[in-house]
Amino acid sequence: MKRTLSLLVAVALLMGLFAGVSLAETAKAKIVFCVNIQPQLPVEFWQSIADKYMAANPDVDVEIIGQPSSNVDIFQYEKTLLATGQFPDVMVMQNPADFVPSGALLAFEDSELDYLADPNIGKIGGKQYVANYKKQVIGVFYNKDIFAANGLEVPTTYQAFLDVCEALKAKEILPVSLGIKDGWPQIMLANMIAGTDLLAKNPNWGSERNADTVKFNNPELVKAMEKYQYICQNYAGDSLPSITYTQMLEQFFTGKAAMLPMGSWVNAEVAKAQQDFEVGWFPMPGDNDASVLSVFVNEGISISATSKYPEVCKDFVKFFFTNTDLYSYFLSSEQLFATTKASVPYEMIPLRQYIEQAIAGMTEVEGFESMTGDAAFLPGLKDYYTNKLTQNIALGNDVATELSNFDNEWTIAKEAMN
Amino acid sequence: MKHSKLYDTLFLAPGFLIYLIFMIVPVVMCFLYSFTNWDGISVTYRIIGLKNFENLFRDASFYQAMQVTVIIMIVTTLIYNVLGIILATLLNDKGKLLGISRSAIFIPTVMSSVVVAFIWSYMVQTNGGVINSVIELLGGQTVDFYRTPTTTIFMISGIICWNSLGFFVVIYISTLSTIPQEIYEACMVDGAGWFQRFFHITLPLLAPGITINCILAVAGGLKQYDHVKVITGGGPGGATQTVTLFSVEKAFEYNRRGYSSAAVIILFLIIVILSVIQLSISKRHEVEY
Repeated sequence: MKRTLSLLVAVALLMGLFAGVSLAETAKAKIVFCVNIQPQLPVEFWQSIADKYMAANPDVDVEIIGQPSSNVDIFQYEKTLLATGQFPDVMVMQNPADFVPSGALLAFEDSELDYLADPNIGKIGGKQYVANYKKQVIGVFYNKDIFAANGLEVPTTYQAFLDVCEALKAKEILPVSLGIKDGWPQIMLANMIAGTDLLAKNPNWGSERNADTVKFNNPELVKAMEKYQYICQNYAGDSLPSITYTQMLEQFFTGKAAMLPMGSWVNAEVAKAQQDFEVGWFPMPGDNDASVLSVFVNEGISISATSKYPEVCKDFVKFFFTNTDLYSYFLSSEQLFATTKASVPYEMIPLRQYIEQAIAGMTEVEGFESMTGDAAFLPGLKDYYTNKLTQNIALGNDVATELSNFDNEWTIAKEAMN
Repeated sequence: MKHSKLYDTLFLAPGFLIYLIFMIVPVVMCFLYSFTNWDGISVTYRIIGLKNFENLFRDASFYQAMQVTVIIMIVTTLIYNVLGIILATLLNDKGKLLGISRSAIFIPTVMSSVVVAFIWSYMVQTNGGVINSVIELLGGQTVDFYRTPTTTIFMISGIICWNSLGFFVVIYISTLSTIPQEIYEACMVDGAGWFQRFFHITLPLLAPGITINCILAVAGGLKQYDHVKVITGGGPGGATQTVTLFSVEKAFEYNRRGYSSAAVIILFLIIVILSVIQLSISKRHEVEY
């Protein structure tokens, strides 16, 4: 009897112990944060966010996951995670329009994003699904030494830009460093011209295209893409199809090419200061002036609609933006532009400071293929624009035909969504 | 020893289970998805019958991808078999150098296709690539291997063959080793020369090797993905996109998993039909001895 009683007491104690552990475990919220691991933002950086948040919130566990390999696109990987029931609680997000129709993302209330300068950027159907964490601008980086040696001025009209290219070509200097092998770098030039010739004139153009009230094959876009084609065909050299992004940078930073149309992340390369010349920057000019600036504001942090801990997730997102150390490190990685109300200082190179001053007062339009919210391209069309349309046009295909094909792709993508 | 069916089943079960989960179920699921409008991420989807197949046959980019796939398949199959038979015949002998040569031809086969594709993509670069650097060193004009889609497709086919030729050579060498020497000796006694021996003995008796190599080469060529993905990504402008790349793009970029599955099913059917045709033709030409 005594032995049985002792056994019962032991079992009861054990059960109590396990119950305690179990309770403690359930009390601790665990969230998974899916991040984009890149050379300039390694996993250690993302882990430091999790560590600092967990230190401030001992009742929360944050697990960091990233793409399984550097050649895996994180935004495609997130689709795989969603399809396999492993969608993370919090994630970096680039194309929320791809996920919103499936109900995968949680909408933020406006008041929950009061730390952002413009919480309305990229709203879909009046709801915000992404806390936008960076702004990047597109422009033309140029070799000041080459310009000075050849008596060239920074162009302020499209014709002046062509004149500069022609003068450089006459001196056997590659005017523009451009290549299509990696698929995406050529879109910077196309975006800038389309932004100036189309989006600046009609800021709602993206939404109107999605409503099918306008077409890609329209006179303004045909004209813009013909300008882009002319530059590709005449001033980008003979090796356009085989030049990668790395080679584009190499051509520019070794002084073989005079200009590099690219996003402001090139400032991070300039910061490495390996070039033996001074780098300048100017916005791609339009027909009459250079007053339109294409910007990327299509990336941020989203929360899963099925997260068990939505409030913890929102708090975690806020922590990322409001922790000055973390956010300033993030911004400095690519010399980015902050999206928060509060200014976040970090060590900027002089060129980055110059760009900030130069763009003041310019008309901002979103990168053509990276428009956000209701103006965002339908699923797949961004890829088509990048890997097919802009490449085929660069190679000399008929612009109007290519844009008609793009309209056909739009119709197919729309049908697929119904 | 008593043979028990229960033991057979138990030993077979793990392998069969793995095959079932990772091969049969995905193929069946793919077949089912090809009749739906599933976007790959939503919980729900609708059955849309043959709509995906109808759309595929109207899709110009699918035809282009099929054309690229067929060109790669034909070029690689020809190289594997013509060059494979020549090399196997040359290497089907004894000697120290032949052993080294056999190893040299086989080594690329054990290398990862992705690694090979990366190495070759650096080799064929127009600016600073190894091949062009050597050409420049010798005073020649650089070659732009990416200049037109056609040259790019042939370049990719060449790289694929460099990677896998050794495997086909090994199959031919092993088939050659099964041909009895007596037949050659009898033929030589009758006064037949090298060409006569090759065309009247070697080639007909190689038929089983040719059959298996053709089937593998055709199926491998039609399924080509990794080399193209690394070297061009399907570009420029989709000009080197194969059906498998097309399918992955539609599934993950366009969120059209059903449509993508339909493309894969068509490819699957083509491979099955071609394999059956090849088998029936080859069987007729195989020689019994």
